Amino acid sequence: MAVRTPHFPDLFFSAAARLRRWEGILMEHFAAHGYREMHPSLVLREAVPEGALRFFDGEDLVALRWDFTMALAGLLARTFPAPPDRVAYAGAVFRRPVQPWEAVERFEVGCERIQPEGEPAPEADVELARMLMAVPGLLGLKSAILHLGNAALVRRPLEAEGLFGELADSVVAALSRRAPHRVREALDGHPAATRLSAHAEALLSVMDGPGTLDALATSPYATLLEEERAHMDRALRSLLPILPPNLELRVDLADVAGLGFYTGPTLRLWAPGAQQELAAGGRYDRLFPGLGRPWQAAGFCVRLSRLLDLAGTRPDLFEEPR
Amino acid sequence: MTPQTLLIAFPKGRLGDELVPKLAGTPLALDAAALKSRVLRIPTATPGVAALLLKGADLPRYVAAGVASLGIVGSDTLDEMDMDLLELADLGFGACRLSLCAQAGVTLDQLRAKPHLRLATKFPKATEAWLAREDLTAELVPLSSSAELAPLLGLADAIVDLVQTGGTLKAHGLVETAVLGRSSARLVAARGAYLSEPGRLQPLAAALVAALKGGD
Repeated sequence: MAVRTPHFPDLFFSAAARLRRWEGILMEHFAAHGYREMHPSLVLREAVPEGALRFFDGEDLVALRWDFTMALAGLLARTFPAPPDRVAYAGAVFRRPVQPWEAVERFEVGCERIQPEGEPAPEADVELARMLMAVPGLLGLKSAILHLGNAALVRRPLEAEGLFGELADSVVAALSRRAPHRVREALDGHPAATRLSAHAEALLSVMDGPGTLDALATSPYATLLEEERAHMDRALRSLLPILPPNLELRVDLADVAGLGFYTGPTLRLWAPGAQQELAAGGRYDRLFPGLGRPWQAAGFCVRLSRLLDLAGTRPDLFEEPR
Repeated sequence: MTPQTLLIAFPKGRLGDELVPKLAGTPLALDAAALKSRVLRIPTATPGVAALLLKGADLPRYVAAGVASLGIVGSDTLDEMDMDLLELADLGFGACRLSLCAQAGVTLDQLRAKPHLRLATKFPKATEAWLAREDLTAELVPLSSSAELAPLLGLADAIVDLVQTGGTLKAHGLVETAVLGRSSARLVAARGAYLSEPGRLQPLAAALVAALKGGD
């Protein structure tokens, strides 16, 4: 049985100063692109998920803010009849750790692009990708890799085949492990096994530049996913010419992390040698309709706690602060 | 060790015995002199790449934590531990069955009919999953080795254990009464290392697959 002791990150002098500096730099970056700061309360009194840190305030069960996007979405849906189009945030979230080394308190900075239903989404997705592309340079990371994915590449074929529940979860778990043989095992005997296994093989092709999109042509769902492929192709053509010198752009067709939440393009930022992604985000068009608002949205979150850890353990990955 | 040294976790024991000869003559061949010593960190034929020799049950932790970037481990161990790592290939070798085994003459129906079935195993997760599928309940007796002794000495009615040739079972007068699953060696990778340094990891992963899967 795993032993878990809570990890509470106390920051001493240089790390505390670095956190403050990075928060300031990123919030200025967002403000320069028209993103206005919101700060949802640290204490939540609404529906309290299991992963949150919960306690009783008298007879009321309350929780600490566990996710900025969720906290902001609730606040925005309650407060505004029309969505503010660009929102940014900075602060801490508190979650029960899944892995023993994860901290309970995590520092994040992020932004959300919110649009009324029907407004074209691709431009907003590219806007967010461009903003994220600037983040490594702003934080002094010597080199980084930006992965572009799309949750719909897995979600739509599964839905088209009527695969839901445990079986769909098994397929997604196998894809998350990048294990095509596990996909075949999970689907053994299912009428769509051959098609979905071939699709998994296509998605798990070696990650590379724009050529990776060609792998989709070999999928049995190539026609179904034409729109997604065109969207990713357009995004690549917009982003590649303005790629900063120390950033590599890769297409990751098998990105299934957060598949229950994301509905379209996804973004993940890595540094060479980092054990965890340093920023992540994507399009999540089902959250606001679920809260009674016909809005669509996308955003990303920079995980400052992970960056602080990385700066502590691998200072060679960062430029000397000016 | 410098941050640039890339570590591959290899299993000791049964899988390791099959693995080492397959790597001979490849860029990932293990240094013969170091193998004969008691050191657990072995240079390979490729500069900057070293092997760690680990117990199978510990190996996934080293890879999941990113200490080792790649590793080879049995799928039975992976299924029991459910660690967050990538499983890049089924290497095919080390194939064996995860089986319910009892003393010769004891049938599956007799085991099913027991009001209080006791099963000794070091695979509790796979055993629980099988019991759930079969709509059975049992008391699980956790063991870490020599499970074959349990039915002989009355510790359990049967065992759930890996069976490769069946020789050990036969030597203890046991027979397979049901096959719960199959296991083989898998190539695993640390999620972070594989996604953040694909240019470094993918050629090595491909070399391991070529060396280990090609000899099937």
